[in-house]
Amino acid sequence: MTLAVEADQLVKHYSGRGGAVEAVRGVDLHVAEGEVFGFLGPNGAGKSTTVRMLTTLMTITSGSARVAGVDVAADPDAARRRIGVALQEAGLDPRQTGRELLVLQARLFGSSRTQATERATELLELVDLAAAADRRIKGYSGGMKRRLDLASALVHEPAVLFLDEPTTGLDPASRITVWEELRRINARGTTIFLTTQYLEEADQLCDRLAIIDGGLIVREGTPAQLKAELRDRLGRDTEPTLDEVFLDVTGRTRERAAGEVQEVQA
Amino acid sequence: MNQSWLLGQRSLREAWRTPEALLPTLFIPLFFLVVNVGQAAKIFPSGSTPFLEGQNYAAFQLPSSVLLAASFGSAALYLVEDIEGGYFDKLRAAPVSRTALVLGRLAAEAAKSIAITAVMVLISLPFGIRIASGALGFLLLLLLTATWAVVFAGFMQLIALKTRSAAATNSGGLVFFPLLFLTPNFVPRDMLTRPMEIAATFNPVTYIMEGLRSLILEDLSWAPIGRGFAVVAVLGLLMVVLNIRTIRSYD
Repeated sequence: MTLAVEADQLVKHYSGRGGAVEAVRGVDLHVAEGEVFGFLGPNGAGKSTTVRMLTTLMTITSGSARVAGVDVAADPDAARRRIGVALQEAGLDPRQTGRELLVLQARLFGSSRTQATERATELLELVDLAAAADRRIKGYSGGMKRRLDLASALVHEPAVLFLDEPTTGLDPASRITVWEELRRINARGTTIFLTTQYLEEADQLCDRLAIIDGGLIVREGTPAQLKAELRDRLGRDTEPTLDEVFLDVTGRTRERAAGEVQEVQA
Repeated sequence: MNQSWLLGQRSLREAWRTPEALLPTLFIPLFFLVVNVGQAAKIFPSGSTPFLEGQNYAAFQLPSSVLLAASFGSAALYLVEDIEGGYFDKLRAAPVSRTALVLGRLAAEAAKSIAITAVMVLISLPFGIRIASGALGFLLLLLLTATWAVVFAGFMQLIALKTRSAAATNSGGLVFFPLLFLTPNFVPRDMLTRPMEIAATFNPVTYIMEGLRSLILEDLSWAPIGRGFAVVAVLGLLMVVLNIRTIRSYD
């Protein structure tokens, strides 16, 4: 099996205001080429930190990571040429038009002006933004920005696409549109590494999942495997939902989760 | 170099599309020029003030305003916007050289400074100011000012990269005011009080101001011009190196 993402005992420590933080404490990941891999976990579990290490945006304290066959710490530029990245914040420049942003992104990846213009037009069609291509991004809706961000991660036809909560804040219709885009992109052979807070999204899209909690992977498998394991362990007749799997794995009850929300609000 | 050029073009587009941020860069320094000249011109009549070299006091004051215009450092605030909005990470996740990430913005800042300085000089001409060092002097004046703009924008970008905060970056920009006023701003250095003269001598902005002033008031006089360029070359190199180091270790 060829691996698109491979992490071995990945660790990230950094100094916070309250002292040293062990954000990721030894993560092993193996994602096959062509997979849609879901990376789940509660807030602060280490999802985004792991993604930032895999995408060269953050240094690795210890351990190693290879993406599309490239060691991200040893040769970050080669890794960047093989990956596409769309993070939690849709990383866009509001003063440019959608077309300008895509052309610039393609040119930064080495395309000529003509190639970049053609690729931008193709991607704008793909994400259904052709009509808004020459409008400034600051006037786009949240869903349009997400789709443009996705398009900008695809300018160089990456082998692996990293998406950090790509549908957070979107309305249900926009979320379904993004899911459809992701299925199309995956069907063309791109491996997708996805973090999400929406377990329904993970259930719909992902071939395999890993759940991280406290900086460690606590469960891994296909959605069906994870649900069957919980059903068998609890001796239930009905299949549990992925939400129940998540709450079981992370040791959280709904009451406790609600309490955590209240603490955040306070 | 191609990547720096692409990112520089993007920064210029950004500035052009934000006239509300660009216009104060021109008008506030012109306002200071008018106020400073209005307050002190009568003390220094051109006929009896040797250091004016036959020009009026506005010509002596023009370098201060030109330097102020070059010290707004708006590039750093745009960088904070990029950081907060996630676009900076998008660029960092692309195979863009870290040097290009720094040079693109700084080159755009130099281009903006050249345009603004040229407009300020053109506006000044009807008020009797002339560039005594001629066309070459005018080009050197644009170049010296633009290089200072790169130095100051580089300093502001360092604050932006370290703090990732618009408020902190804005506050950092205020450091220019003491630098501007601890100079021979109103009179030549040898007419300052002794403590002010010592402070001005240690202030690098003094040498840039004296270089600019020499280009406006005298024929090409290479000693002050050379000192001005030497200061911006050293500081510019320092800022570029520090910016690149900071971006490389940015987590």
